[in-house]
Amino acid sequence: MSGHSNWSEWVYIGVVVALLAWVGAEAWNIERLVEHVPENAEVIKVTGQQWFWTFEHEDGTKETGELHVKKGVPYKFEITSKDVIHSFNIPDYLVLMDAVPGRINTVWFLPVDEGEFPIQCREYCGLIHYNMRGTLYIEDGA
Amino acid sequence: MKNIIGLFMVLSILVILPTVQIVFAAGDEAGEYIDRRVEIWNLFFRMMTVAFVVGAVVSGTLIWLIWRFRESNPKATPTKYEGTGELDR
Repeated sequence: MSGHSNWSEWVYIGVVVALLAWVGAEAWNIERLVEHVPENAEVIKVTGQQWFWTFEHEDGTKETGELHVKKGVPYKFEITSKDVIHSFNIPDYLVLMDAVPGRINTVWFLPVDEGEFPIQCREYCGLIHYNMRGTLYIEDGA
Repeated sequence: MKNIIGLFMVLSILVILPTVQIVFAAGDEAGEYIDRRVEIWNLFFRMMTVAFVVGAVVSGTLIWLIWRFRESNPKATPTKYEGTGELDR
């Protein structure tokens, strides 16, 4: 300390530390909240392969290229791939998870709006990647 | 000095502790029905607010600093080195 006042530097350090702590804690909290799967979530097995998506519901029903779900019911996707790395994406619901061969990744979501929403592959996976699309149908389950 | 450090420790704890409590209170019980779009976009907007406020404060401070301590500012006072030739060595 060379005799000059340095209180403002400590204020600066304090503000930066407090802000970083808040940003980290807030992001961590939301991440935990978003990853916390409700107990009664229905499991849908999602398989990506060049160049289409297949879905298997809990009751064994299988769908290809389209997925029918009920409004207000939470769903947990168990995502894998048969060949290369794909990425399962429902842009309207901010669902995005890699489909990796030999590995099951999970993500859950709650459909709240009825309608049709696009499903796509978000990881370049070969020649027809651009057309590896599907449709999510959200129907009234009542 | 100790007062300032103490103040910021208290502020940090006031911010961090409630969040940590909320996080751990979640425990292993079933998660709530949440709309991930709302949570994620709200987080994004909060973070953007913080980023822009910090950006405004930092750039504002720099602009003020440059304006206030320019040589041509009427309020500028010469340093003890000016005119002594010490700076030319």
